[in-house]
Amino acid sequence: MAKNRPPDAGDILQGTLDLLILRTLILGPAHGHTIAHSIERTSENALEVEQGSLYPALHRLEDRGLVSSEWGVSDNNRRAKFYRLTAKGRKELEAATNRWRRMTRAIGLILGESNI
Amino acid sequence: MRFRRFFHREDKDRDLAAEIQSHLAHEVDVNLAHGLSDPDARRQARLKFGNPLAVRERVWSYRSLPLAETIWRDLCYAWRSLCKAPGFTIVAVLVIALGIGVNTAVFSVVNTVLLQPLPYPDPQSLMRLVLFTPQRTLDGASVPEFNLWRQQTAVLLEVAGYDVGGAGMNLAGGDYPLQVQAVHVTHDYFTLFGAPVIAGRTFTAEEDRPHGGNVVVLSYSLWKQRFGGDFNIVGRTIRLDSTPYLVVGITGDSFITGNPVDLWIPYQFDLNTHDMAHYFGVAARLQPGITIEQANAQLKLASDQFRREMPNAIGRQNYYGVVPLKDWMIGDTRTPLLVLLGAVGLVLLIACANAANLLLARASGRKREFATRVALGAGRWQLLAESLLLSVSGGLLGLFLGYASVRLLLTVNVGGLPRLGEDGSAVALDMRVLLFTLSASVLTGILFGLAPAVTASRANLLASLNDSGSRTGTGFRGANFRSILVVTEIALALVLVIGSTLLIRTYIKLQAVDPGFDTHNTLTMAMSISGSRFQTSAPVAQIIRQGTERIRSIPGVAEAAAGNGLPLQGAFGMPFDIVGRPKGNAPFSGGAQYYSVSSSYFDALKIPLLRGRMFTDRDDASAFGVVIINEAMAKQYWPQGDPLRDRLQKAPGAGPPFAEPPRQIVGIVGNTRDGGLNRDPFPTMYIPLAQMPDGETALNSRVAPLWWIVRTKSGQHTPVTQVTSALREATGGLPVAHIRSMDEINHLVISRQRFNMLLMTVFGASGLLLAAVGIYGLMAFSVEQRTQELGIRMALGAQASELRNMILGQGMVLIGFGLVIGIGAAFWLTRFLASFLFGVEIRDPLAFVLMPLLLSAVAVAATWIPAVRATSVDPMTALRFE
Repeated sequence: MAKNRPPDAGDILQGTLDLLILRTLILGPAHGHTIAHSIERTSENALEVEQGSLYPALHRLEDRGLVSSEWGVSDNNRRAKFYRLTAKGRKELEAATNRWRRMTRAIGLILGESNI
Repeated sequence: MRFRRFFHREDKDRDLAAEIQSHLAHEVDVNLAHGLSDPDARRQARLKFGNPLAVRERVWSYRSLPLAETIWRDLCYAWRSLCKAPGFTIVAVLVIALGIGVNTAVFSVVNTVLLQPLPYPDPQSLMRLVLFTPQRTLDGASVPEFNLWRQQTAVLLEVAGYDVGGAGMNLAGGDYPLQVQAVHVTHDYFTLFGAPVIAGRTFTAEEDRPHGGNVVVLSYSLWKQRFGGDFNIVGRTIRLDSTPYLVVGITGDSFITGNPVDLWIPYQFDLNTHDMAHYFGVAARLQPGITIEQANAQLKLASDQFRREMPNAIGRQNYYGVVPLKDWMIGDTRTPLLVLLGAVGLVLLIACANAANLLLARASGRKREFATRVALGAGRWQLLAESLLLSVSGGLLGLFLGYASVRLLLTVNVGGLPRLGEDGSAVALDMRVLLFTLSASVLTGILFGLAPAVTASRANLLASLNDSGSRTGTGFRGANFRSILVVTEIALALVLVIGSTLLIRTYIKLQAVDPGFDTHNTLTMAMSISGSRFQTSAPVAQIIRQGTERIRSIPGVAEAAAGNGLPLQGAFGMPFDIVGRPKGNAPFSGGAQYYSVSSSYFDALKIPLLRGRMFTDRDDASAFGVVIINEAMAKQYWPQGDPLRDRLQKAPGAGPPFAEPPRQIVGIVGNTRDGGLNRDPFPTMYIPLAQMPDGETALNSRVAPLWWIVRTKSGQHTPVTQVTSALREATGGLPVAHIRSMDEINHLVISRQRFNMLLMTVFGASGLLLAAVGIYGLMAFSVEQRTQELGIRMALGAQASELRNMILGQGMVLIGFGLVIGIGAAFWLTRFLASFLFGVEIRDPLAFVLMPLLLSAVAVAATWIPAVRATSVDPMTALRFE
């Protein structure tokens, strides 16, 4: 049965969010909260989303084998689930980054920003 | 593995919940570090995160197959809900099982007769050789024709002639000889039909030439029963008609023949003969790549050539051709079967309407339940799941019911249908029948479930939830729709009962037809005389004389006789000339069927003499040739004149075996209905068996047995054993077979009509029953729903009789509509029954007046019960009725 929800940020920026998560994890394992803040900081809040929508994306990435996870203890001495980039995830990040660059370049050309 | 995501979903959800908790705790830590108060820090964290439950739901639904899950959940719910209403469930399943059952039954017969390919290699290319005439298609063959077809190698291969083994042979051994079905074939027969051979071989081309030796191939069943399955029989000789035959091979169990066969013997045709007698059939295979049209074109050319070589053999407008062997075997049974299939389709439609009605009635009592469920986010297709569950269970039950009943029916009567095997043993539940039943069930479920599902899901949620109870909803949308269903049911049932009435009337009329002789107290039996002893007329006449005398001396026997055929079964045709009458352009004066009979034949069968005299024992080979004709022949060929003054030349120019001087017509006897009770009698000649030309007797002995007729005194026990032993003594040990009374034969002749009538009656009765249940269900339900309204009316002073009449009147309107539509439909549809009817018009007034009356009586009765119940309620109870 199709559930008719209004499209949210996660749906629109699906591919982008995946890319950002992978990009964040290349620096080392991190738990959800860290990833969320890291994305907020590095994207200068331009891509701010509800933090909750991070989790469906994380789980999808895990199912695709791009990240792996295990429970650990955070800097705050709290239990947290840590995500780690897999080899497959690394390759995917590379490919996705290239795709992204090609696309933004194409868009840039169309918009006349030839300096990109 | 991505599919892993569908498992352990509960564990993963708990894990995610913990993760979200951890995330929020971290965020609270951050907020506290920024100096927010504790409650504020928590609030901000939750705001920033969004709805945790929504996140969990998204992950959960990502880990599921939404459609499959919904369907499964709907089915589970449907199952529980059906279990809670066992009465409704049982009735609905039974209604559908009845509808699907009759369809499975008829379709399994249709499948066996019409759809299954012939059980031979490359069945599409098997053809039957025929002669097309402007009037009809003839399938008999003579040796010169067989030879002509055999030479058409451009279009045909494996041209094989075969008969049906009618004459039988006497197999020696055991206490008494056994009469066996011996089929004559040309050697290509086994190749053509791909007969499996389990021992030895089939005939060689050399063995199929004149003087090719006496060889025989045994069938599996004869080999098992008579020879105990001993492989050493191959290479030995057995005695058939007192002649030794060498057993060369045994066919496998899987070889299926149209009629049961005990053994095969090579025809050994002399291909140079000019004998134009038709006494066998020919089948062949199309050459690869050749179409039926191409073969027919080639055979038409061959017909012209044949006409030049053999003048008078075939008429100017006649030509040879092929028809697919399967079509030839199916014959004229296609239309009756399709009509029956149409009739069961109507039964299924009625069952559908009934089930839809039941479902709607139930649905309108469950409005609040549906509304609640929909409001909580459930799908709107719950009812469809329930109807599918019902229809598939009903279909499963119907499959078994239908199969069991078709077996039972065919054991009683195979209705003259071909390809069904003994007692319908060839009817099986194959893939096609199973698929048919499955798709019929699913389609039925969708058909009767769709409308209720749509209606129920359209209902206004808020109104339903606010409704005071589940029972007051007279305004429910289903009401009109349900009336339409009942009208449809009545109309369909009327079409069915009118159809079955026409067939019942046909059957009664047929039974009342005088077959032209007395079928009661008459025993018949066949004696095979195909041996070398009976190649001339004198020995045949002698055993008849001796046998007749011995049988007459048995107590209880009134008369005995013999002939080359029995009435009702039909006889061979033969052209004739009336001596001295000009023929014009025609090659003959006319054609008639003929019987060669003993002198007491007419007395034994009680065929009445109309004019002239009967045969006597003095009409023998030494006396002047005589012939008796029947009334139909006298009327057709002597519309004014007196046949007793004329002489007949039988089979003019048919060659030496048939040569004889003209015969004097000495008597006219009554007609017998040989082409079937529903057809006009054929012109018929009777010839004293003792006066037959030897060559003709030899041919008759080869293709047909000698039939004995014994009339017993009424009320006497039929002395079967005395008769058979008397015949054995009189004939030097010849056995008899196919012992039947003439009543049985009469019964068989109308078996197809009885089959059609029986089935249509069952379908008509089913339709009537279903329609009665349907209208009762609707009226009972609507009365129940209006209990409160009726109570108010009564409290305001309405009389019980008024209320009853009001409800009856509403029922009558529906019944009236149904009857009008039904009569209209039947008026149009009965034309498809026209070819099955006899003595009844397709618009038989009795059927078109009586059946609507019967149906309305049933329908009124079905309305009466709820109407009476409605008005017998205490008004106070009715008012308080929720």
